[in-house]
Amino acid sequence: MMQKMISKDKISKFISVLQKEYKIFGPVREKGDIVFKEVQSADEMDLDYLNSKIPPKSVLFPMVDTLFSYKKDGEKVEIIENKPYNKVVIFGIRPCDAQSFYLLHNFFNFGKFKDPNFLDRLLNTVLIGIGCLNPRNTCFCTSVNGGPFNSEHVDILLTKFKENYFIASSTDDGDVILKKMDFLSDAKDSDVKEIEEMQKKVESSIKIIEDLEDLHKILDNMYEDPLWEECALGCLGCGTCSYLCPTCHCFDVVDENKPDGSGRRVRIWDTCQFPLFTLETSGHNPRTNKIQRARQRIYHKFNYYPKNYNLIGCVGCGRCILYCPVSNAARVGEHIGPLAWKSMNFIPSAAIASRLGVLFLSLP
Amino acid sequence: MVEETKQAAKGEASEEWKPKIIAFLCNWCSYAGADLAGVSRVQYPPNIRIVRVPCSGRINPFFIIKSLSAGWDGILVSGCHPGDCHYISGNYVARRRFAILRDLLIFMGVQPERLNFTWVSAAEGERFGKVVKKTVENVKSVGPNKMFEKDW
Amino acid sequence: MSDLESSIRETAKNLLTEGKVDLILGYEKGALPLRAAPCFITDPTDVDRLVFDYSCDLNLAKFLREHPEKKLGIISKGCVGRGVIHLVVENQLNKENITIIGIPCQGVINRSRVIRKIGEREILEVKVENDKLLVKGKDFEESLPLDDYINNLCKTCHYKSPPVADITVGEATASSLQDNFEDITSFESKTPGEKMEYFKDELNRCIRCYACREACPVCYCSLCFIDQNKPVWFGKTADITDNFIFHMIRALHVAGRCVSCGACSSVCPMGIDLNLLNRKVEQIVKERYNFESGISLETPPPMGAHKFEDGQEFMIEED
Ligand code: SF4
Ligand code: SF4
Ligand code: SF4
Ligand code: SF4
Ligand code: SF4
Repeated sequence: MMQKMISKDKISKFISVLQKEYKIFGPVREKGDIVFKEVQSADEMDLDYLNSKIPPKSVLFPMVDTLFSYKKDGEKVEIIENKPYNKVVIFGIRPCDAQSFYLLHNFFNFGKFKDPNFLDRLLNTVLIGIGCLNPRNTCFCTSVNGGPFNSEHVDILLTKFKENYFIASSTDDGDVILKKMDFLSDAKDSDVKEIEEMQKKVESSIKIIEDLEDLHKILDNMYEDPLWEECALGCLGCGTCSYLCPTCHCFDVVDENKPDGSGRRVRIWDTCQFPLFTLETSGHNPRTNKIQRARQRIYHKFNYYPKNYNLIGCVGCGRCILYCPVSNAARVGEHIGPLAWKSMNFIPSAAIASRLGVLFLSLP
Repeated sequence: MVEETKQAAKGEASEEWKPKIIAFLCNWCSYAGADLAGVSRVQYPPNIRIVRVPCSGRINPFFIIKSLSAGWDGILVSGCHPGDCHYISGNYVARRRFAILRDLLIFMGVQPERLNFTWVSAAEGERFGKVVKKTVENVKSVGPNKMFEKDW
Repeated sequence: MSDLESSIRETAKNLLTEGKVDLILGYEKGALPLRAAPCFITDPTDVDRLVFDYSCDLNLAKFLREHPEKKLGIISKGCVGRGVIHLVVENQLNKENITIIGIPCQGVINRSRVIRKIGEREILEVKVENDKLLVKGKDFEESLPLDDYINNLCKTCHYKSPPVADITVGEATASSLQDNFEDITSFESKTPGEKMEYFKDELNRCIRCYACREACPVCYCSLCFIDQNKPVWFGKTADITDNFIFHMIRALHVAGRCVSCGACSSVCPMGIDLNLLNRKVEQIVKERYNFESGISLETPPPMGAHKFEDGQEFMIEED
């Protein structure tokens, strides 16, 4: 595993070397929002961003993903398979979002149901992350096995340091890439020390929610709790919290055709917050009300996920808090509601606070 | 001479493209009017495909938007004249609906020439022919509809 | 706490203690700056949660249908009150169960606009001081002209206080605004191609989360057209053609019903501006049928009425 320094103005060179082999996706500012898009040069990227609005899961699990298409010629139907995937580098991904790929991988690789689209893309993807010097108030990665400089799920991690980036690889893929870059300088021991201290300082500035590890056990006994009613009260039942969540992975499959007889099968994002999500062909719907749907999202992340994969299904990016259109007080950030309230000096109703007290025994 | 050739080439090109127009006609007046046009051998361009509906009030705006999104180049909707609706007020309801629909579609950038609404009674075979001619001219003036083509 | 807020709390408390209502629907502080959340109060001791300021951009009328058995009091700025009235006119609510607590509104702040202006910096505090909007973060402080960040629909709003109210709190404001839809006329000077380009560009970012629909007081269909799958009418993908058609039909469906609250744009996580469509449908029904939604309990909505003399200037003639 290598540790090097790269000066800021060499990033564009770094990108152009990568470009010989990879398609590059990076954080691009589009109409005021950061999204991960294919870029041709380093200038297009904004590397000082907080985090993207749409999580980079959209690169591996696009909002609209063609599974196959077909053409019709008289009686003959020709199926057109997808082209093999290009090798891709996601440059500038945040450690929390990189961690989400690890979680998504568990789902798309579950048992005998392997999802070729996602897995092929993942195999062909190299993740080059950027550590967070300015975590948001809504970030809580350190409570869910992550951290602002967590290199566990990236191949290479950059940390901004004065006019340079400290660049460290953590996988073989990362090593191979760094070896190709003959313009990197060595990292001085004193600098490395300073950087590590800075990282620790940033990391400790993020608030910790202590009991998340045990949350699934608490939830086991809360299925019928009136808390869910409270959670659902102001909720719109929209797709925001799950579409913008880096670990939500639900999809719907639809067929489209054109008048000329050609067509395609696509998969599109879907969410458990929509009533249609669970509507069965028979007409029966096992989840008919918002209360059940609000509960599902929390259970999936903090109860089912830990049970199925022994992991928490959340990476602490805080997008659900940031973007929930109604800033749903009882549900905001779901489990971390009280944390957000505290940082905002918001006093929840006695009723909510006492209910949530069960969940959040130790507030920071 | 060069100018003439150009003109001719242009003419040929536009001749090649035949607009596809979908017509929604109410059963009691306009469809009967179209029938009369046929029986009386009124000449009109063959670009329309007729969908017969019980009443102009039955025409859901979906039919119109769906047709446009499926690539029809133009729409013709016709019902009974005000006062003559077989169901008394179906065409009044339809008229408000079309007025709003048309205003909104035009506001969002659909060319007005693609959206043709009119009244034709069962006795107006002649008028039906003229209305179709006018509709075809309108649609021809704006060319093929590629507004909602998907790029896959 | 403003005077208005304390009167709101007072009124809410009285209604609850006197048993006139079971539930007060109002706004409370959200978890982040510039955020207000809907707030459901049943216990008079909880009324201190109620707030009202520039961040209260939701239309609370949306939530009324979910509590059919309760007696409700709803803190209503102009468009919330209009939403309630319109829903009563559409027979979605029983007016007898609802107490409209009218309050005056100064307009709401367009959150997306502020965020776009501030860019990739975390906003930690937002304050309004006179005609300035003060936005603070870790190492920045900006003072923005408030007026530039007020929602467009608020600027053309004629009903800052609800036209029909059971209780009025604060000073009801009457509007002397002259609205001749200049914004719409100026947009309409574009060519069809340019207009479509504008909407396609704006709607391209839509992720189909349907927050706009879910937040809209008049979008209450148990099965929205876009969710119908027997048959499938329109596409559900986030491709631009499907997005365009979804928003086109939604605008059509709210014509003559939309109360111009702007909630659909305020809630959009992508900051998509749907106001122009709201304004257009407002203009269509106003100019064609002299109708404004939610201002009277008697007038039926334009799609539920008709006249022999209704305009038909758009009909084609044979020559
Ligand atoms: S929370 Fe809902 S949308 Fe997200 S992955 Fe789970 S079931 Fe799917
Ligand atoms: S919690 Fe917020 S973002 Fe999630 S469905 Fe409810 S309203 Fe939408
Ligand atoms: S369409 Fe938008 S502005 Fe109109 S009532 Fe619905 S949410 Fe309000
Ligand atoms: S868009 Fe139309 S169908 Fe869908 S909820 Fe709104 S009014 Fe109903
Ligand atoms: S809220 Fe915004 S992103 Fe969501 S469906 Fe509506 S316009 Fe699209």
